[in-house]
Amino acid sequence: MSSRTKTWALLTEHPAPWQPSVDVYRTRYGWLLKFDLAGVRREDVSVTVCGRRVSVSGIRRDSLNEEGCSYYSMEISYNRFERTLEMPCDLGDAEVSLQVRDGLLLVRMITEGNQYV
Amino acid sequence: MSDQTVVYTLPVLPLKNAVLFPYLLMPLSAGRPGSVAAVEAALASESKEVLVFTQRDGDVDVPGQGDLYPIGTKAVIRKMSRSEEGHLELLVMGMERVAMVKLDNSEPFLKARVTPLPLPEDKGPEIEALQGALIELAGEALALAQPNAPQELRGLLAANEDPLRLSFVLASMFSLDAAKSQALLEAPTRADALTMLHKHLTHEVQVLELRNKITTEARSEMNKEQRDYLLRQQMRAIQQELGDKGGEQAEAEQLRERLAKADLPEDILKEATRELGRLEKLPPGAPDYNVIRTYLDYVLELPWKKATEDSLDIPKARQVLDEDHFGLKDVKERILEHLGVLKLNPHAKAPILCFVGPPGVGKTSLGQSIARALNRKFERLSLGGLHDEAELRGHRRTYIGALPGRVIQAMRRAGANNPVLMLDEVDKMGHDFRGDPAAALLEVLDPEQNKTFRDNYLDLPFDLSKVLFVTTANALDTIPRPLLDRMELLRLAGYSEEEKLEIAKRYLLPKQLKETGLDTDRCTIPDETIRKIVSSYTREAGVRQLERAIGRVARKIALRFAEGQAESCVVRPDDLVEMFGPEPFNQEQARRELPPGVATGLAWTETGGDVLYIEGTLLPDGKGLTLTGQLGEVMQESAKAAQSYIWSHAGSFGIDPNLFKNSGVHVHVPAGAIPKDGPSAGVTMATALSSLYTNLPARSDLAMTGEITLTGLVLPIGGVKEKVLAARRAGILDVILPKGNQKDLRDLPEGIRNEMHFQFAERIEDVLRLAIPQLSERMDEARTRRIDHAA
Repeated sequence: MSSRTKTWALLTEHPAPWQPSVDVYRTRYGWLLKFDLAGVRREDVSVTVCGRRVSVSGIRRDSLNEEGCSYYSMEISYNRFERTLEMPCDLGDAEVSLQVRDGLLLVRMITEGNQYV
Repeated sequence: MSDQTVVYTLPVLPLKNAVLFPYLLMPLSAGRPGSVAAVEAALASESKEVLVFTQRDGDVDVPGQGDLYPIGTKAVIRKMSRSEEGHLELLVMGMERVAMVKLDNSEPFLKARVTPLPLPEDKGPEIEALQGALIELAGEALALAQPNAPQELRGLLAANEDPLRLSFVLASMFSLDAAKSQALLEAPTRADALTMLHKHLTHEVQVLELRNKITTEARSEMNKEQRDYLLRQQMRAIQQELGDKGGEQAEAEQLRERLAKADLPEDILKEATRELGRLEKLPPGAPDYNVIRTYLDYVLELPWKKATEDSLDIPKARQVLDEDHFGLKDVKERILEHLGVLKLNPHAKAPILCFVGPPGVGKTSLGQSIARALNRKFERLSLGGLHDEAELRGHRRTYIGALPGRVIQAMRRAGANNPVLMLDEVDKMGHDFRGDPAAALLEVLDPEQNKTFRDNYLDLPFDLSKVLFVTTANALDTIPRPLLDRMELLRLAGYSEEEKLEIAKRYLLPKQLKETGLDTDRCTIPDETIRKIVSSYTREAGVRQLERAIGRVARKIALRFAEGQAESCVVRPDDLVEMFGPEPFNQEQARRELPPGVATGLAWTETGGDVLYIEGTLLPDGKGLTLTGQLGEVMQESAKAAQSYIWSHAGSFGIDPNLFKNSGVHVHVPAGAIPKDGPSAGVTMATALSSLYTNLPARSDLAMTGEITLTGLVLPIGGVKEKVLAARRAGILDVILPKGNQKDLRDLPEGIRNEMHFQFAERIEDVLRLAIPQLSERMDEARTRRIDHAA
């Protein structure tokens, strides 16, 4: 029963789209968000910044399907994902740039001057 | 809602007995070939999407469109692994509600054309109220179903802002059945969905409450029956913890310890250990428990091997016996003999003694004295009136309240297996339909058998062979022969006047003075006074009356002192008349003169001897012999024998034969109210009749006793001592005894023997010559005549 209870707890926590993991860095110019989003194409990701809230959503398509092969097991989550972060400061005016490198999605946000907070 | 026209086709995963809701993760297992193929196809796609429809009937393996609910959920497969049986274990996430447009059930898996069916989004106070109520209800149900559920769960529930999402979570949480879940999924409005779920949860809460109630009731019922048991177990555990073992276990333990300590013979120990084993298996409430307990107590308390050490100091034993009792030479001698035997052979069998004698001669106290002399325990059990064999030998343990017999009980009281056991009044045992206690006594008193005496209760052999049995009886005729045969008879005849005087001086007087608080300084009772009391105020073989009389004198003196008399006093014989009144036993003095036809006999009674007058008179017109005075058969027969002898020898006595022909004879023995029997009045009868027929008086200062035969022989009789003492009491100093009783004179006290004059008769003629002096002359004459005639 308790394991089921835990399952329910999981159920209630997670919204339908899956959530990628993220590291948040402070840089000399602002913020760097590093999302674990291997296999996601640049054009399938959209980032929206609204005040302190930064949302990254998109879709991971399983494009590495070779003819004649089939799954034995699957652990990677596909399809729609979404991750919303609450930042410590208003980033509405920040300059946002996206970069895909080595399976990671890097979101850079450069704030004018040194306003970190 | 935004785009009703979107239609897409995806593989279908049919579900049995479950509904996948949007927003919820659900573990699934795909085993059917169709399902496996559908999943594989979904996984092969970029988006990993699959359609989940619930089957109307869980038993259908390959469902068609009609077998599936028309509304389902589009889901994304999050994780997949294979189980050992080849099933696919999936974790799927519900994404959106879809309505089926067309099912394509071509091989290898189901595909469906669906169109999204967005969830309703109606709002309003009703929804909010329902949502709040649902959360509350859910909390309640959760508390009932899982009291241990973490508190956060309720918080998480409340955190669901979307009422539909909340209802989906609750539906899966409280395992709503498939049909209801499907209805919830299909609900056209939020209000419908929430109402439905509310109804279901209310029902659920009621069921849970009822279930809890039933469980509680069942538990309390169980408690009633098992509470005691549990408490007892707990108590035992506590007692063990405290180090003291409680209740029955401690009892059994104690008994075991006592068994180990008690020095029991091996077979007894075995039996007792077996009983103890039975005891331990019984609950203390069982009826047998106490029976076995009592039994074991008895076994443990009996002196199986314990014996007191005999004092073998003969001079000391003699001293003790002499201190306690005056006279009784035979008995004391017999006890000392046994002591002597024990000294030489410690394993000698104890004799079984029987003291026979009139009341008050000290039979019972003699038993105590023997025990004291031997330094043994003394136990006494009175058999008087005992009529149930079980009293002696016990009841079998199967009877309620069963106890061992008196013999075993006495052994337990004595606490040693060699006590002096006095069986009092052995001649007064009764017997009835329940059995004959005398027969049971046979076993007890047989030295060959009583080594293994088996009491019915104990059912174990107990050794009675070390016990010194002493029985007492007043008369022997009621004791069955076989019993009598086992005992060594010791007669305690009555005491003589001299002996009584000694007893009074040594024991009775000091005792009575002490009891009344007097001492010899204040009160002197000289010998003459005691003698007077003995001869004139008491008439008994023993000394009980004497003791009472002395006590009466002592009390009267004590009263005088209490009233203020200062000077000491001496009680003179003459004072007795004042104290007791006139002498009560005057008439029993010997008759001064006897008319012809009366003779003085001697009788033995249970209370000692007595002087007996036999009176005869001629009945001028009568015939035959009339006998009166409560005479028994034997006595009547000896009267007839006496008469026949005299008739047949009429010539030699100088009797006129016509007297026999013309007149009858009446013989009476006074004190007519007292039954009399026995042969020993034979010579007296003959004397009385001779005196009657010859008209010559018999001597009044002479008494006689003896049995006669038809040929005129005088045979010995019993009770010589009592009879002689009776004669002495009556003031008759001349006594005729059968020749055969000459040896019995040894029993008489020295004083009496010297004072009195005994003559021994072999034939009735000897008696008649002595008793009727004038007849003696006549007989001589008759003989001379006969000799002359012959010459």
